[in-house]
Amino acid sequence: MTPWAYIPQLFSAGITIGAIYALVGLGFVTIARASQIINFAQGEFVMLGAMITFFLLKGGGLPYPLAALVAVILVVIIGFLLHITVLYPLRKASIPILLMATLGASIFISNTTALVFGTLPRTLPAFLGNQPLQIGGIFIVPQSLFVLGATFLLLISLYLLSHRTLLGKAMEASSTDPLGADLLGISRNLMVFLAFGVSAGMGAIAGIFITPIFYTSYHAGTLIGLKGFVAAVLGGWGKNSGAILGGFVLGVVESLSIAFIPSGYKDAVAFVILLLILYFRPKGILGSPFIDSRRW
Amino acid sequence: MKGKKGMVLWISFLILISISWATPAYLAEKSPYKIGVNLELTGPWAEVTKTVKMAMVMEVEKINAMGGVDGHPLELVIEDNGFDLGRAAANMTKFSRNKEIVAVVGPFEDNLQATTRAIAEREGITDIIICPSNPMVRSLNQRWSFNIAQSDIIVSQKLVDLCLARGYKKILVFPGNWPLALSLAEYFKRFGEEKGMKVIISKETHKPTDIDMTPQLIKLKPIIESEKVDALYASTGGPPGPIICKNMRTLGIKIPIIGTHAFGFNFIIALGGEAMEGVEFAAGKPVVPYQLDKDDPVRPIVIDFDKRMRARYGVGADQIAGHAHDTIWLIYDALKRCQGKVTRANFRDALENTKGLKSCHGIYNYSPTDHDGLTKRDLVFIRIEGGKFMRIKFPGFE
Repeated sequence: MTPWAYIPQLFSAGITIGAIYALVGLGFVTIARASQIINFAQGEFVMLGAMITFFLLKGGGLPYPLAALVAVILVVIIGFLLHITVLYPLRKASIPILLMATLGASIFISNTTALVFGTLPRTLPAFLGNQPLQIGGIFIVPQSLFVLGATFLLLISLYLLSHRTLLGKAMEASSTDPLGADLLGISRNLMVFLAFGVSAGMGAIAGIFITPIFYTSYHAGTLIGLKGFVAAVLGGWGKNSGAILGGFVLGVVESLSIAFIPSGYKDAVAFVILLLILYFRPKGILGSPFIDSRRW
Repeated sequence: MKGKKGMVLWISFLILISISWATPAYLAEKSPYKIGVNLELTGPWAEVTKTVKMAMVMEVEKINAMGGVDGHPLELVIEDNGFDLGRAAANMTKFSRNKEIVAVVGPFEDNLQATTRAIAEREGITDIIICPSNPMVRSLNQRWSFNIAQSDIIVSQKLVDLCLARGYKKILVFPGNWPLALSLAEYFKRFGEEKGMKVIISKETHKPTDIDMTPQLIKLKPIIESEKVDALYASTGGPPGPIICKNMRTLGIKIPIIGTHAFGFNFIIALGGEAMEGVEFAAGKPVVPYQLDKDDPVRPIVIDFDKRMRARYGVGADQIAGHAHDTIWLIYDALKRCQGKVTRANFRDALENTKGLKSCHGIYNYSPTDHDGLTKRDLVFIRIEGGKFMRIKFPGFE
């Protein structure tokens, strides 16, 4: 059997996982656009969204949509708290210190989750059953379509937020031109605070949408966060469209690579692709507002 | 009035004091036998080791309430190794330097037990391992280490029986890329081919951290179709098991799935949902306490243990709790049979001479050449139906 025969099915699997990377990558970009901080606790928001939904659903007996909504709100509050307790006190520190602080927060959140919710892996029921749809020899689970839909809806709402509202523009201004933003009376701390809320909410939504396909556990946030970060850098650090494109490219390349090489090297492929793209196009595929390519 | 109240309080205080003085004095007639417990109480295994700890504490209390071992109470000295190799080794060394400790139980994780087994050999103290062991370590036949869980060999033998009973002729194995899973696959191939089956071990493997096996399974699907494979054997453990089942059904692969004994946990069904329906595997008897044969000598033990677990902790027995139960009763049995004074060497010899001890998982027999204890007769066939474990029986194969 030639490898080409299973390309279509691999491609569709890659699209699903790519949508997940894209969703997580978007969260990274939202905070970066407001503050230039790389929030390594982003993956934990994804994990928390799913974990809290699970316990509201199973332990609290809430209906699924309500449980999901409450979980998103709770995670947004956690996002705000993360800013107030970790990043706001360090606002005068340099970026690498903030980066380490978010890494510390990520370890703290994941271990607290282990203490509160236990270490067993959990999963959520699919929104519309698990019966796969068959389209021209390709099998797709309905949940994948939900993930795709969520990705595009979030992308559109982020686009509207940053291009059509004063708030969104203020958030972006506080990152790209901090001095100018200060002169115009934009409270940069408030903008970063809001960005954490938006990003936490998006992470939680991503977690709730993707968990029915896979599963989540207290340490699942680290890996998914890393992949989302790679996706965001790959597509162009600091661009929403970049995170989406990067996510899909990463997912598809990872999946297709299996047709030609043993699956043990799947994760390595993603990072080799990242290195290659960064060698030749350090700004990422779509270019980055933060990285000045003239230096290369 | 005030004085009277004070008097009553004072007297009750005195009574309390005297009682609390009297109790240890009565128990301390004979010194306790101390057992070191070296477990991953924090980290990824926390949930599993919590069960181990609960079951062990419950059984030790039961033994002590029965009067202990010839009047000597048992005492657990529990240390957390935090899923950390250094701390596991330090705990083991600490236990071995404490002359009061007769034997050590744990740890769980592969590389951690490899280290503590080596320390046990050097220091001359028994190390009882609960988790199924890395075959490379197990095959060292170390003098001081004993395994409680079913070995990869007997699980593979039992699964070959399952395939023969079901009439499967051709099996595709999708192994996890870690020693125990790979060795389960290898033994399955060896025993299967002895019985005339065709076993293909897939070159595609998976890692314990893989959250999506779809790409690997897409590559296996043409093999399944062109080779007309009867069933897929997912030689794995933990979350990858249900993920494989889910992804297979998503891809429209309809052949039966065979699993390992690691499928016999409720959280596996919870993770896999409907995709787990019809999955068959071989596992230890505590998975189905109430479905064991009426004349099974182990049945009353498992049911009694399950009831006590439910009464005390609100959770039933599972395989892991069963291993913990068996560990304590093996220790009790060996201590009772110790010749003369209980020393580490005497205890080891007594444990090695365990013959026909009935406990949750089956009947344990140890010998100088066999430190594994159980045989394939101590496993039962299980099928997942309606989100529950159902025991299945085949004439001639049990």
